[in-house]
Amino acid sequence: MNHSSKKPFSKDILKIDSPHLLVDELGRKLKNDIYGTLRRKGAVIGLSGGIDSSVTCALTAKAIGPENILGLMMPEKDSSPESEILARKLADGLGLKTIVENISPALEGFKCYERRDTATKNIFPEFDPVRHKMKIGIKDSGLYSNLPPVFHITIIIENGQEITKRLPPDEFRTIMAASDFKQRSRMSMLYYHAERLHYTVVGTPNKHEERQGFFVKYGDGGADIMPIAHLYKTQVYQIAEYLKVPKEIIERTPTTDTYSAEQTQEEFFFQLPFEEMDLLWYAYENNYDTGDVSKVMDRSADEISKIFANFKRKQSTTDYLRMAPIKYI
Amino acid sequence: MIETAEIKDKIRKFIAETSFVPEEKVQDETLIFVDGIFDSMGFLSLINFIEDHFQIKAEDSELLEENFESVDAIANFIAKKQN
Repeated sequence: MNHSSKKPFSKDILKIDSPHLLVDELGRKLKNDIYGTLRRKGAVIGLSGGIDSSVTCALTAKAIGPENILGLMMPEKDSSPESEILARKLADGLGLKTIVENISPALEGFKCYERRDTATKNIFPEFDPVRHKMKIGIKDSGLYSNLPPVFHITIIIENGQEITKRLPPDEFRTIMAASDFKQRSRMSMLYYHAERLHYTVVGTPNKHEERQGFFVKYGDGGADIMPIAHLYKTQVYQIAEYLKVPKEIIERTPTTDTYSAEQTQEEFFFQLPFEEMDLLWYAYENNYDTGDVSKVMDRSADEISKIFANFKRKQSTTDYLRMAPIKYI
Repeated sequence: MIETAEIKDKIRKFIAETSFVPEEKVQDETLIFVDGIFDSMGFLSLINFIEDHFQIKAEDSELLEENFESVDAIANFIAKKQN
């Protein structure tokens, strides 16, 4: 790499100078790919009420017109009611058609809840899914450690008391696998409507989700086009402002909306606020000197090195998620 | 009480079998996480394995690099806990 051509590292390095130019460019690409490459009549997009699906939808609406988009809301019994309210607000503002598909019955059919709750009861015999809530996440930040994070499970009982234990491997795998039915059921429903309408499925992961492996393979990782998979989270917010995404969506804390207890994405997976993670990931990907990054980020060079090592580990241990099926020829 | 060499051997075999990495690549001082041999899932399995096989309890506060970064570190940790 020619280091002399690299912009000096600064807190503004990811700022999009002309959002309208980027939106126009993404719009041209989307239009070309939906109609030209994939030869489909429109787009189906899953709307979660979050920033990523909202920006993806607003971008696509600008590219091909809202009349050629179907927005799908796919709540299930652990979803926050706010998710559907915000998704509807976005869809109404853009003027696109929506369908609500409650996936709880499908998940009951897969025994998603039963399998997850049985694994939870192995750890907490007192757990009652009707009266109690649960979530899994990283208890302490292992950001500066070369050890991978250790997942814990928390139940919240009647009086609001939280009880946390380390997840044994079998229960961890079972809870994750059962929960992943949610994303995979949503993917099935998106493709049902896409095939029925001869539309394409436009996916919503951002750069961090894609590169760090925060998605479910053949779940939310299953789509035909992912127009924001190269954008950092702060850039997604910047585009959201430009596209006039409703303020409540922009101000909402990103959550997993997967477990019965509320849980932020930072708590579950990322371990860093987005503003910091964006800059650090950019520096990591572009091989910036840890000393230069340290001065801007107000962390020691040693801390920066450890965070980079953490990123590298996350990326390499999730390669499997990004791999296409292995084929023998 | 089992010898340190035997502890190391059991840990090395477990790491190799769980991660599908040839046993000869897991040396006493190999950094099993830095070198990408184990991920989060591997770490949980490792903790579970040493708790089951060596009748010790690894507290959350003890899940540190100095106790888990290599076969050497893990064997020392187990020996310390057993004492």
